[in-house]
Amino acid sequence: MDTLIEVKEIVKTYKKRKSNEKILAVDHVSFQVKRGEVLGLLGPNGAGKTTTIKTICGLLSPDSGTVLINGIDIRKKRLKALHHISAVLEGNRNLYWRLSVLENLEYFAGNRGFSRKEMRPLIEKYLHHFRLEQKRNELVNRLSRGMQQKLAIAVALLAGTDAILLDEPTLGLDVETGYEVRDLLRYVAKEEGRTIIISTHDMPVVQDLCERTVIINNGKVVVDDRVENLLKLFESRAYSITLNKPLTETQQQLLMHRFPLLNYSTESHQSLLQVNLEQSEDIYELIDILKSDQTPIESIDRTQIQFEQVFMKIVKEGKEHALV
Amino acid sequence: MRWFNLLTANIRKEYIELKRYLPNTLSMIITFYAIFLAMFFGIKLVGSPDSMDTNIQYVIVNYIFWYLAMQVMNFIGWEITNEAMRGTLEQLYMSPMGAWRILLNRLAGSLLINISIIIALLFISMLTAGQWLNLNPITLLPILLVTLVSMFGTSFIVAGLSIIFKQVNAFLQILQFILMGLTFIPLTVAPYLAFAPFVKGIDLMRNVMIYHMSLTDFGLMDYAVLIGNAIAYFVVGSLIFLKCEKITMNKGLLGHY
Repeated sequence: MDTLIEVKEIVKTYKKRKSNEKILAVDHVSFQVKRGEVLGLLGPNGAGKTTTIKTICGLLSPDSGTVLINGIDIRKKRLKALHHISAVLEGNRNLYWRLSVLENLEYFAGNRGFSRKEMRPLIEKYLHHFRLEQKRNELVNRLSRGMQQKLAIAVALLAGTDAILLDEPTLGLDVETGYEVRDLLRYVAKEEGRTIIISTHDMPVVQDLCERTVIINNGKVVVDDRVENLLKLFESRAYSITLNKPLTETQQQLLMHRFPLLNYSTESHQSLLQVNLEQSEDIYELIDILKSDQTPIESIDRTQIQFEQVFMKIVKEGKEHALV
Repeated sequence: MRWFNLLTANIRKEYIELKRYLPNTLSMIITFYAIFLAMFFGIKLVGSPDSMDTNIQYVIVNYIFWYLAMQVMNFIGWEITNEAMRGTLEQLYMSPMGAWRILLNRLAGSLLINISIIIALLFISMLTAGQWLNLNPITLLPILLVTLVSMFGTSFIVAGLSIIFKQVNAFLQILQFILMGLTFIPLTVAPYLAFAPFVKGIDLMRNVMIYHMSLTDFGLMDYAVLIGNAIAYFVVGSLIFLKCEKITMNKGLLGHY
C-alpha cells in the first residue's frame, strides 16, 4: 500500500484574543495514512484533532510543517490536492437545509465541476445504499438527524475522492442510526476501497472500523499503532484473579501499595482481584504477595478489554508509544 | 466544461432558493417598488414643473441602478455570512474549483435572475411614471458589462471583510445607503466620484437612457475611466479577497461565526 496522506511535523499556534497569549494547538504532529486504510484520529477535547483535520483539508495553514495529499503539498497547490480529498466536518450542518436531498447531492457535485447528467447513476447508487431513495425530494430540514448525517456522508462520497475525512460522524445519533452509519462506512471502506480518517470520541466505532489509530493529546501524537496491537498489548496485562480465601490485612496493604489501581472484592468465601499491570512481568510480584500467606488461587483469567479502556489509560498516563 | 457545470449548478441553486423563499422575494420587490413610488410622488408634489419629466427619469434610472448595485455588491458578503452561519462555508472551501470561483458563479447566477427582476421593475416604474427611457441594448450592454466588472471587484472587497469578520450585517446595511449616494449623486456635482466603483458607468448609462446618447458620443477619456475603473476594482477586489482568505486560514477563522 502506498502512502496517500503524509502529515509531517505540523505545528499550529493560536493567539488568545484579549491577552495575545499563544496557545500551542498542534506540536510537531506527524503520521502517514496508506491508500485504502481506515484510520481513527482520537484524543480528548482540545487535544488538537480538529486542528489536525482542518490542516489536512487545507482549511487551516500550519505555522510550520507540511501535508502531502497524494504527493501534492496542500499549502502550495491546495486546489489540486483537493481533487483527492473530501470531508464531513460539521455533520448535518454541512448541508443546505432548504434544498432537498437530491438538490444537495446535485449542487455539491456541480460545485466540484461535475454535471448532473454524469453524476446521476452515482447519485442513484448512493441514494439506494444510504436508504434515502424515498426521501430524495424531501427538504433537508425535514429529515431526522441520522438521515442528514447519512446525506452529508453521501455528499462527501459523491466527490469521488481517494480519501474522506469524517469529523465525529456518529455524534448525536441514536444507537440504531449510529450502527447504520457504521455499516455504511464499513461498506465505503471495503467495497469502494477509500481511505478514511475518522476523528471521533466513539470508541466502539474505532474498535469496529479502524485498522490503525493515532491518539493525540496536548497537541502531540502519543500513540500511532494498529488497533489490534493496542488491544492485545493492554489485554495481556489485564487480569482477573479468583481466590478461595479473603486476603489478609497485610496482603491488602502490600497489594494496594504496589498496584494502586487494583480492584478487590469479596463474596462469601471467595474473593476477586482485578488488576491492569504496567508490565506483564508484574504478575510474578503479585503472585509472590499472594503466596506469602498461602492464599489459594482458584483461577487467573485475562480480562476482555474494550478500546475505550485502552484510550482512557493512554490519555491518562500520557503514554509515549509510537510503534508501526 | 467544469466551469459551465459550476455555473449551471449555482444558477439552479439560486433559482430554487428564490422560488423556495418566494414570499421573501416578493416582499423585497414590493418594498423596493414602494420606495420608487415614494420618490415619484415626492417629486410630483414638491418638484419644479419645468424639470419634472427629467427629474422623474433621473429617479427611475438611479433607483434601478441602486437596486442593481445593492444586489451585486452586497451579494457575496451576505452569502459568506449566511454560509458561515449555516456551516457550509468550509464545504465551499473543500471544492477543487476554489471558493472564489464558486462565489463568482453564484453571483453570476443571482445576477441573471436579478436582471429579469430589474427589467420588470424598470418597465413597471416607467409605466407608473408615464416616462419612457431609451433602452437601446447595443449601447447599454457594453457599458453595463464593464460597469458590472467594477461592481464584482467591489463585491469581493466586501466579501474579504465578511470572511474575516463574518458578522458584518450592520456594515452591509450601511453600505446600502452609501451605494444610494453613489448612484444618486451625478458626476456634474461630484466629478471625483468618477473614480469610485461603478459611478462612471452609471453616469454614461444615464446619458444613454435619458439624453439618448450613443457610444460614439462619449470621448476616449470617458472610456478610459470606465475601463480603467473596472480593471482596477476587479484586480484590487480579487487581491484583497485572496489576502483575506489567507489571513482567515492562518487564524483558523473559516469555520467561525
